[in-house]
Parts: sequence; C-alpha cells; structure tokens
Amino acid sequence: MTANVLTLCAAGMLVTAYLMVGQKALLTTIRLYGLQSLLLGLVAATIAIAESRPELLITAALTVTLKGILIPWFLMRTVDRIGIHREIEPFLNVPASLLICLGLTVVGYRVSTGFEQGARGVGHHLIGVALSLLLIGLFLMVTRKKAITQILALLTVENAVFLVAVGVTSGMPLIVELGISFDVILAVLVLGVLVQRIVGRFESMDVSRLSQLKG
Amino acid sequence: MATLAAIGLPAAILVRLFAAATALALARRPRACRGAALVGSMLASLLTVTTAVEVVASGHSVEGALFRHAASGTVFDYAVTPLSAWFLMVLEVIALPVALYSVAYFSHSLAASRTAVVGVAFNVLLASVEVVFVSSDVIAFLSAWEVMTLATTALVATEHQERASRRAAYLYLVMSHVGTGCLVTGFLVLAGHAGSLSFPVLLSGRVVSGPLRDGLFVLFFVGFGVKAGIIPVHVWLPEAHPAAPSSVSALMSAVLITAGIYGLYRVCAFGLGIPDQNWALAFMFAGMLSGILGVLYALTQTDLKRLLAYSTIENSGIIVLGLGAAMMAMSLERPALATAAVAASLTHVLNHAVFKGLLFLAAGSVVMATGTRQIELFGGLLKRMPWTGLFFLIGALAISGLPLLNGFPSEWLTFQALLLGFTATPGLVRLNFPLAGALLALTSALAAACFVRAFGIGFLALPRSSSASRAHESPLLMLVPQAFLAMLCVALGLLPGVTLSALDTVVVSLPGLQTTTSMADGALGMASGVGRFDYVVPGGFGLAVLGALLFVAAVTARRATAPRQVPTWACGGEVTARTEYTATAFSKPLLMIFKAVYRPRREVDALAEVSPYFPQEVRYRAEVEPTFERYIYAPLVRAVIRGAGAMRVLQAGSLHTYLAYVLVLAVVLLVWLGGTR
Amino acid sequence: MSAEAPFTIAAALLQAGGILAAAPLLKTVIKKMKARLQNRRGPPLLQGYYDLAKLLRKESVRSETASWVYAAGPRVYFAAVVAASTLVPVVVAAAPLEQTGGVLLLVGTLALGRFALATAALDTGSPFGGMGASRDMTIAALAEPALMLGLFASALAAGTMNLGVLVRGLVQQGPSWHPSDLLAFAGLFIIVIAETGRIPVDNPATHLELTMIHEAMVLEYAGPDLALVEWASAVKELVYLSLLVNLFMPIGIAMKLEPVALLVGLAAWAGKVSLLAVAVTLVESTNAKLRLFRVPELMAVSLGLAFLALAIRFL
Repeated sequence: MTANVLTLCAAGMLVTAYLMVGQKALLTTIRLYGLQSLLLGLVAATIAIAESRPELLITAALTVTLKGILIPWFLMRTVDRIGIHREIEPFLNVPASLLICLGLTVVGYRVSTGFEQGARGVGHHLIGVALSLLLIGLFLMVTRKKAITQILALLTVENAVFLVAVGVTSGMPLIVELGISFDVILAVLVLGVLVQRIVGRFESMDVSRLSQLKG
Repeated sequence: MATLAAIGLPAAILVRLFAAATALALARRPRACRGAALVGSMLASLLTVTTAVEVVASGHSVEGALFRHAASGTVFDYAVTPLSAWFLMVLEVIALPVALYSVAYFSHSLAASRTAVVGVAFNVLLASVEVVFVSSDVIAFLSAWEVMTLATTALVATEHQERASRRAAYLYLVMSHVGTGCLVTGFLVLAGHAGSLSFPVLLSGRVVSGPLRDGLFVLFFVGFGVKAGIIPVHVWLPEAHPAAPSSVSALMSAVLITAGIYGLYRVCAFGLGIPDQNWALAFMFAGMLSGILGVLYALTQTDLKRLLAYSTIENSGIIVLGLGAAMMAMSLERPALATAAVAASLTHVLNHAVFKGLLFLAAGSVVMATGTRQIELFGGLLKRMPWTGLFFLIGALAISGLPLLNGFPSEWLTFQALLLGFTATPGLVRLNFPLAGALLALTSALAAACFVRAFGIGFLALPRSSSASRAHESPLLMLVPQAFLAMLCVALGLLPGVTLSALDTVVVSLPGLQTTTSMADGALGMASGVGRFDYVVPGGFGLAVLGALLFVAAVTARRATAPRQVPTWACGGEVTARTEYTATAFSKPLLMIFKAVYRPRREVDALAEVSPYFPQEVRYRAEVEPTFERYIYAPLVRAVIRGAGAMRVLQAGSLHTYLAYVLVLAVVLLVWLGGTR
Repeated sequence: MSAEAPFTIAAALLQAGGILAAAPLLKTVIKKMKARLQNRRGPPLLQGYYDLAKLLRKESVRSETASWVYAAGPRVYFAAVVAASTLVPVVVAAAPLEQTGGVLLLVGTLALGRFALATAALDTGSPFGGMGASRDMTIAALAEPALMLGLFASALAAGTMNLGVLVRGLVQQGPSWHPSDLLAFAGLFIIVIAETGRIPVDNPATHLELTMIHEAMVLEYAGPDLALVEWASAVKELVYLSLLVNLFMPIGIAMKLEPVALLVGLAAWAGKVSLLAVAVTLVESTNAKLRLFRVPELMAVSLGLAFLALAIRFL
C-alpha cells in the first residue's frame, strides 16, 4: 500500500515536470511547481507513517508549507508585480523539448539501476524519478529565457535531491533539513528581488540578453 | 611545569586569537589596539617558548588536541616533537623582541587606520606558523599553511596604496599558491597510498617507493622551497620582505623561511624514507646556488631591506646545504656524520634568525628615522643614532661569520660537516664537498664585503642627504629588543656548546640518526669528528683578543694630549658627501668580476648645450639583469596567459551556454559513472 | 685544562711577543733584498723598528668626520692579527692556543681584522678609503676559497684541522713529497702574496690612486694608529709565512721543550722564513703589478691549484 502511494506520488512529480516543460503561461508553471512540492510532502509523510519516523513529519510539514504554499505565493506575487505572464519562445520548441526530456528520463531510470536501492521496487522508481527530475530541471534552465522559469527549474532540482534523500536514505539530519529549507527560501527571495531589478533595468526578463558574462 | 607544557600551545593560540579579536574590536583606538595585539602576542610567545624549552630539555613530545568537532568527526591533533620544539623556540625568540619593538614602531610609522589589520594579521600569522610546526595531520597542516600565506599577504600589502607593495603581495600570493598546490598534490598522493591523513603514518618513510618517491620528493622540494626562498623559486622574497613593515620583515625573514625549512626537514629529509643520493645532491646544489647567488645579488642592492632579503636567501641556502650534506650521509648510512650535518643546519636556523632579526630591526629604525630605504641616501648615522648603529654593526659582524659572534659556530659546523662528508663519501661524488666548501668560503667572504658596504656607506662618514642629517635615535622601546638580540648574538657566539647540547634531544628524535652529536665540549667549545678532527673554543680565543687589545691600549696610552681633530684631506677641495665613495661604487669591482652572473647594462648620457666637450649634465644608469625574472618567469607567465587566452573561447558570455555545460557534464557523468554497473 | 692555563698563557705571550718583535725585521729584510736587486743599498736592517718608534711618538691626528669606528679599526685589526699569531706553530711543533681552534678560527680571525680595517677606512669620507676598502674586500673574497681549499688539502691529508696536531703528525711521519703538497704550496703561496699585499697583486710602496689597494685603506692614519696598522701588517705577513713554512717544510721544528731543540727550531724557522722571503722578493722584483681586473684570474689559478691538490690526493 505504501509502495503504491509512493510510486504514485513520484509519478505525479514527473508528470508535473513534463507539464512545466510544455507550459507557456508563467502562473500555471508556478502552480505546477506547487503541486510538485505538495506531492513531495506527501511522499515524506507516507514514509514517516510507514516507517514510524516522526521527525519526517516535521520535514513533510515544512516542505508543504514552504515549498508548496509560501514560495509559489511569493513567486506569483512577483510575476503579478512585473506584469509579464507569458514565456517567450524558448530555444527549443515544445515537441523537441519533450523528446529530450523523455531521453533524460530514460537516462535517469537507467542510472538508477546502478544503485543498490534503486535496482528494483519502490526505490527504483524513487531514484529514477529523482534523477530524471534533476536532469529535466537542468534542461529547463538551459532552454528557457525567462528568469522566473529558471528559478523554478532550480527549485525542481532541489526537489529532486530532497526526494532521493527522503525516499532512499534514512533522511538527512533535521538540522541539515532546516538549513537547506532556509537556504532555499533565501535563494528564492534574493532571486525574486533580482528578477524585479532585471526587469526594471532591461524592461525584460529575458536572461539571454545577459551576454557580457566573460572576462 | 609539566602541566603548563601540556596546555601551553593551545593556550598560546587561544591568547593570540583573543588578542586579534580584541585588536579588531579596538580598531578605533590605535594605542589600545596596538597594546592589545602586541602584549597578547608577547604573552602567547612566552607560553609557547616555555612549552618548547620543556620539550627540548626533556626530549619527550607533548601531544594533545587543538580542535575536536564530534558531529563532523574532525580532529586536529598536535604533537610538539623535539624538532617542532626547536623551530618553535626559534620562532618565539624572534617574535618576542619583534613584538616589543613594534609597540613603538607601529605608533611612529604605521597609519592609525591600518593598526587593527596589522595587529590582527600579526597574531594570526604567528598562530598559524605555530600550528604548522606542531600539526600532526594533513588537513591541519595545509589549513595552517594557507592561513600563514594569507596573513603574510595582508601584512605585505599594508602599504597598498604603493604599486610596488601591491605587486609584491600579488607575486607572493601567486608563488605561494603554486607551492601550496605542489604540497597538496604531494600529500594527497601520499595519503592515497597510505590510506590515512595523519603524519605519523604518512611520514613514516615506508609508504611509497621507486620513481613515485622521486616524483613526490620533487613536488615537496618545490612546494617547501618556495617558502624557504631557494633559488629558483625565490623571486617573491626580494619584493615581499621590503614591502612589509620592518618589524614584520624581521619576522618574515626569520620565521617564514623556517616554516619552509621545517617542511623540508619533516617531509623531504625524514619523511620519505632513506634519502636517495641524488636528492642529497639536489639539495646541496640548490643550497650552494642560493648561497652564492643570494649574496651576489645582495651586493648590488641599494635598498637596505632588499639587501637583507637577498642575504636571507643566501643563509637559507647555507641551511639547505647542511641538510643536503646530512641527506648524503644518510644515503650512505653514516648516522654520526648525518648527525653532525643536521646539527650544523639547525644551529644556523637559530643563529640566522637571531642576527637577521637584529639587522631588520636596526634597519627598521634607520628607515623610520630617515624616511627612505636607499643606502645611498644614508651616511653619518652612527653619530646620530649611536645605539642603532652599534647593533647594526654587531649584526653585520655576526652575519659575516666572524669569530666571537654567532655566525661563526654555525659556519664552522657546516664546514665540519662538509669536510667529514668528504672523507666518508666514496667515489667521484665526493668532490662535491670541497666544491661546496669553497663556495661556502666565497659566500661568507662576499657576505662580509656586502655588510662592510652596508654598514660603512650607511652609517659612517658624512650624511649623504638632508634626511640623514636630521635623523635621531629611536625610542627606548625600540632599542631594548635590539640590545637583547645583540647580546644573544654574543652569547651564542661565545657559548656554542650550549646550543649543541640543547640540540642533542632534537637530533636523537629524528629517525635514522645516532644518539647525540657529542660535539659540544662543555659550554664553551665544540669538537668534531672521531679523534677530534677539529675543535674550537671561541670564548678562550676571545680572551686572547682581549689580551691583545689591552696591550694595544698600553702601548698607545701614554698620550698627554688628545688626538687632534682635523678635516679630512680631500686633495685641496672641500670634503662633502659628494666626494665620498658610494655603495654602487663599492660593489663595482665585484660587479665587473662576476659579469657573467650579473650581465650588467650601463647607459651614460652626456647632455650638452653648447659643445659636447662641455657637458651640462651627465646621466648614468646601471642595471643588473634580473636573470630569473627575465628568462624563467617571464616566458612562463607569457605561456600561461597564452594558454588562458586560447581557452577563452569557452567563455561564450551567455548564461545559457554555461548552464548547458553543466547539463551535458551531469548527463555524461551520470551515464559513465552510474550506468556502468 | 685549568692547571695548564698559566703555562698556556705564558707560551702565548712569549710567542706573540716574539712575533711582534721579529715582524718589522722581516719587512725590512724584504725591502733590503729588493733594493739590492735594484742595485741600491736599501734601508738599514733596523729601519722597521726606527719607523715604528717614530710613529708611536708622533701626535695622533684624526678626521672630524670620523666616529669611534675609525679609532677602533687599527686596534681591532692589530688585536686580531696578534691573537691569530698564537694559533700557528712557529718554533715549536705546537701552537700556544691550539686548544682554542685550528684552521677555520685562524682564517676567521684574520677576516675579522680585515672587516674592522675596511669599515674604518670608510669612516673618513675620503674616496681613497672607500676605494681601498672596496678593492681589498673584493680581492680577499676571491682569495678566501683558494686559501680554504689549500689548507683543507693539508688538513684532510693529515686527518686534523688543528695546526699543532697537524705539524706534529707531519714531523713524525717524516719527509714525503706528494705532488699534491707542491700544488697546494703553489696555490697557497699565491694567496699569501695576495693577502700580504705584494706585487703582483698590490704594491706596498705606492701611493698612486690607480695602484693602491691596502695602502688606500690606511691612507688616512697617522701617528700611533698608523704604527699599529704597519706593525699588524708585518705580523700578518710573518704569520702567513710561518704557516706556509711549517705546513710544508717542518724540518727542524722543535718537538721537545729542550734548550737545544728550541735553538735548532729557532734557527730552522728563521732560515726557512728567510728562504721564503727571498722567494717573495724574487716574485716581487720580477713581476709587474697586475691590473685590478686581472687579479681574479690569478686567484682562479690559485683556486685551481688547490682544487687539483685535493683531487690528486684523494682520487
């Protein structure tokens, strides 16, 4: 029963990632991220109940609150403030992107068989999904031009790492958890402010215009 | 006492950190800041020196933990072995007077805004050097090494509004990091083979063998050689030492060099197993080269502190030469001979620190009084700064290796090591020893010439500039440390047996050496070799000199009138500073004799308006070619920049390209490492 | 050691005194021989003593620009040289202060004297002093490796660096003429010429700027100061010649402290030093003074000879 729930949630997270790839509307993308984080919290809670580890419940609650609700709310507010609601043409069109994401998923699942816990069963799916999410997140960062989307991609990567940590290992110490959570919050805050500044300066969120990053 | 030794070192480091923090907090009040930093430093020095003396006297190491963090499992242990204790003693013997000197020196010549930084960096530097000497695992050692480098850079860059200081700090930083890179590589390779990061395991000498051992030797030689100032990795020394404040230069010359020397001892000589004969030859060759080139370049310097810096390179070479002789003896399995050579080398570490510290402190006083570092602008300072002049003279006599002062015993010991090495070594390779001996004799004679020049041109005759004529004696707080070091020079020169006896425990603790040097002949004498090859009692001889002086006094004493004082005859003209010999002129014959080394260039322009036979002005410019900078370092730097330029294509400038690099790399790594099981 | 101390001190005083007494005679003898070779009569044999007495009686004149270093220079030079003279075996096959040091201490002490004199020369502010100091330190620096190597060759062959023990060993061993001895002797002879300031390295009788080395350093001294410098130079010369003589031809040196042996030793020493003095005179009279920048070549020759001496004996 637990295994089914976990597999379902993991699959759900992967689906949200795919949907993010195919989305043009920024607000929807943010909501998809929120959903992804909720699913992640659900995974953590399930494991907490199944293996009777109460500290994981705290972690789950943190995930849901911070990543599932607070961050999406903050990002949506930023988007509203800026007033840009649509992603412009990415470097790769949607069908091509989806194909590549498929390839990356295959890579992720393939690699997960190389790990002990990832050879079969729930662990196989958890690690596979996590690695796929990681690669998809990176891919999103490479191909999208809007800063908000890049932030979301970064957060996706972070979700992937968290998934592996919670699902397969015995979880990270609470103090590390708290540390990472606050890290993420801070990063998002800073990035949010940065995005506003970029827009204010360049009248656009198009990161590809930042072409002077060389010595 | 036993308990004090057990906690002495961590307590000292804590005191230093506390002093640094206090100095930072008191940054707005220069006087309090100075006091906090320097008094704290002196207190810590006293704590450390007590521990060190205890270890050297008893021969038992003191071990403990510096830092333990249970959660992450990091443990920084320390072990004050007799060898470490010797180096700690040398460090603190210099650090104490330097700190006292700095109290007055910083108030006069350091800007108030910089006091806090210098006070903090001073303590951090000394703390990190102490940790370097006593750390017993790789992480602690390398961390302390890096902190040492950074603290020194901060001190070198004190006058960062001067371009020369910035350049010196940058050069020092780059070269130190090249050296540290070599060290990190070497240690990691060793650790990989030994499976541990702690020194007792890593440096037991049984970890690696064959060509890998030779390769590691080269890495460590370069890495530690940079800090020790061995040619050819010495180029930062003449730039960095003058740029720092003078008391800090004293510390750098006496102390940072010893950090490199300690590394050479700990790892290259005694940590990689029985040394190979080629290693010993490399050491001896590098030592000889550093010695002779160091003093040759010192002879052409007109900047007093640069002169002293080159002289440090020379003495570093002598120390390494002694160590090389010891390694040769070890490779031939002659422990008694190795003991003698190690004793020579370690004695010179102490003696050099003492007289170089003294010279730098005196030089600092002079620079402060006249406002310039150029010897050509000094002159007549002995009459205006009698005590500083006397102390500089004592330092000059000591560094020239003249009997009755402390340069002579360590040179004597080095000669003994070389001569005994000659008799003990078979084959053609033994000719290296008399060659080294001849070069050592040449080096010390040239050093004498160099310091006759420095003292004579700088302190005697008429002032050569208005700033020199306005110079006045330093405050008492700056004179007392110099007096202490000068008395130490005399004491160490007349009582060399004491130093040698103290070294017994140190020598015993080194792997592969025989018990005790058995070279001390009481407190006053030294004897070497089987059947007393040579012996010397400087004190006894000093009495003979004293007796002769009394005779002289008797013979010339029956004067009813005082000597008549008249102006110097200047061939009918007036005696001014312009008729005096200059420092450049003094070393000109040597410049011309050693043309092959110096490759001097000379430009003479005569400017004439009316006719070329009646020039208005003659301009003279002489330059010694910076061989190492021009032929080794400049091409190297150009090659590196060219390579970096070629790699520039990778820097496309677009954020997305960089992210794409990350993605591709992640996929490749995952597939390669993860999927291949 | 402490029981023998009075004896050692007495012996040291006796040797030092004897050398002090004999040194001016050596200088005058060489001058007279040179004069004879030039078809002149030369000064009377006691002229050296007359000169010293005259100088000691004169008023001491010092430069205004100089400090205490100027007065200390000749005194330290004199003290160093006289103390060094007690380290060398002269008449007896032992040096009074041989327990305090050997070859290295001897060379070091002479270097101390030179340092003092050179530093003092810079004190008057006259360019001659600076020039003399510069040239003298340069030549001394070049001579030192050859001196060390030459002495090392003898010391290593005998197995000791202590001069008294060395000479005793040589005497007991009996006469033997290894080619390395000749090479070492030749090399050291050149160094002695250089260190004592004789033609072809330096001209002791000149006061021309172009040709002065040692004379330039002491140009500004007068009266007792000058007397000390002249005397010390003479003592240094006698010490070097005695060293050379006893290291390579120790025949006749006294091995026991009996009157007959001592007399024989004294006569032998006087005879051998005179022979060497003749050699010095011949070298001085038949050579022209070298240009300053040719002197390093001569020093290199000496160094090569010393190095060869070592190589031949030990390889």
